[in-house]
Amino acid sequence: MDPTLVLQGLVSGVLAAGLYALVSVGLALAIGVIGVINFAHGEFFMIGAFLAYQLFVSFGFDPLLSLIFVAPALFVIGAIVYRSTIRYVLEAPELNQMLLTFGLSIIFQNLALLIWGGDPRSISGVPYRSIGVQLGGISIGLVPLGSFVISLVLVLALYVGLARTRLGRAMRAVAQNRVGASLVGLEVDRIYLVAFALSALLAGIGGVMIAVIQSPTPTVGFAFTLKAFAIVVLAGLGNIRGILWASLAVAVSESMVATLVPNGDALRNAVFFAIIFIVLVGRAWRRA
Amino acid sequence: MSATAPTAGTPALEIHGLEAGYGKIQVLWGIDLTVEAGSFVTVIGANGTGKTTLLRAVSGLVRGVHGSIRAFGQDLHGHSPARIVRAGIGHVPEGRQLFPLMTVAENLASGADYLPGAAREITRSRATVFELFPRLAERQLQLAGTLSGGEQQMLAIGRALMSRPRLLLVDEPSLGLAPSLTKAVFRALAEINRAGVTVVLVEQNVQRSLALADRAFVLENGRIVKQGRGSELLDDPAVREAYLSL
Repeated sequence: MDPTLVLQGLVSGVLAAGLYALVSVGLALAIGVIGVINFAHGEFFMIGAFLAYQLFVSFGFDPLLSLIFVAPALFVIGAIVYRSTIRYVLEAPELNQMLLTFGLSIIFQNLALLIWGGDPRSISGVPYRSIGVQLGGISIGLVPLGSFVISLVLVLALYVGLARTRLGRAMRAVAQNRVGASLVGLEVDRIYLVAFALSALLAGIGGVMIAVIQSPTPTVGFAFTLKAFAIVVLAGLGNIRGILWASLAVAVSESMVATLVPNGDALRNAVFFAIIFIVLVGRAWRRA
Repeated sequence: MSATAPTAGTPALEIHGLEAGYGKIQVLWGIDLTVEAGSFVTVIGANGTGKTTLLRAVSGLVRGVHGSIRAFGQDLHGHSPARIVRAGIGHVPEGRQLFPLMTVAENLASGADYLPGAAREITRSRATVFELFPRLAERQLQLAGTLSGGEQQMLAIGRALMSRPRLLLVDEPSLGLAPSLTKAVFRALAEINRAGVTVVLVEQNVQRSLALADRAFVLENGRIVKQGRGSELLDDPAVREAYLSL
């Protein structure tokens, strides 16, 4: 086995892990605080990607600049989705909640298909897209590196925010005991709204980055929903701290398979399904 | 504890024709009940008679309630629990409902953090709680979920006191506690009441709670069937037979 290839796979995996973590903490926030398993999470990611694309095409906005618009837009979209749909199924059986978010996912995908069509859309004109450094046979692209750094900063900011700020403490309180939270004066419904909107915002920022890294199609979100699920399951539901490690594990194994296995790129998706499978079966077996 | 002196004459709690339940199951069938400000009131009754639902209706945890609920002259009907806490009503709920992954200190802080008036008094309120329950002061950095049942109960009462309530609703604090701890919790409740907080206690430990009560109500199948001074009911042969098995 070529050691340079192994190292390249490792580096690419680590760099991808940042984005995975960013999308997954958003999902974990929705699951942990609100208790809703949101299958439409990747759609916020996809909307972020296409908004960045549109801002680039229409106004020539650099994706970094468009973050200033896309992030608040996704926060508002998340808040509207919560207020108009999620809120009404909070007490409903879990299956109904999942069906609702699954339906939302289909609606958003098809809306995007109507607006932008099914072809991959790329922000090809960004000057820094092809910049990278070569280190002893390993190439590190500026864009993956930048997305890794931005993601990591945001994920760490979320950790600190949850631990140290009043709103963060309120979210943890609501997550740990909804009745207790309402009895200490928290408007639980408002905290849910903010948590869901924040979750959409984080996914949307991830989407802006994928718009530069890849050329997204309206179905790009669903793949990320699944990846985020694998990561959240691996980290353990509600364990936000575990997400960094789980992202690293999923992204690196995926990248290793893609780099080292012949035709491995086609097996990328098999990797995280295998991880979900192993973790769930393993946990069930250990508990039995 | 609350520094606000109760307005003379206005009851701490006035309930008229209260009906409440969960979905199609009605639990309370027209409750009338008045609690004088500053008093210690006990509601006794067997399991499943609606004692917990009564407290949950007052603090806004049960929705779709009929009838009127006023606290210190203020209408509470239909308000969210968060608004009802702001009206000066603390609730130590069934099952304690603590934040298990937060420390004792964080749980206590949460009781005051989200209420503007209480947040200013957080240091003083905490000192009062620690005076009442020195055990909590020793365990400040311990996670609430790892406390013993008795300590959790103390923490639940402490957290409710952090909101500086004028009226404290307490649901079955003795449940699952060793007799010595039960005694400590009841002593604390009496002390809280002496400091001027109106207390409404729902209990299955009839002997102890009646002994403390200025006024007591007996709840049966969602209706109040008897009321009187605590000592009166303690001597009432029917009450003694039904609840004290004497």
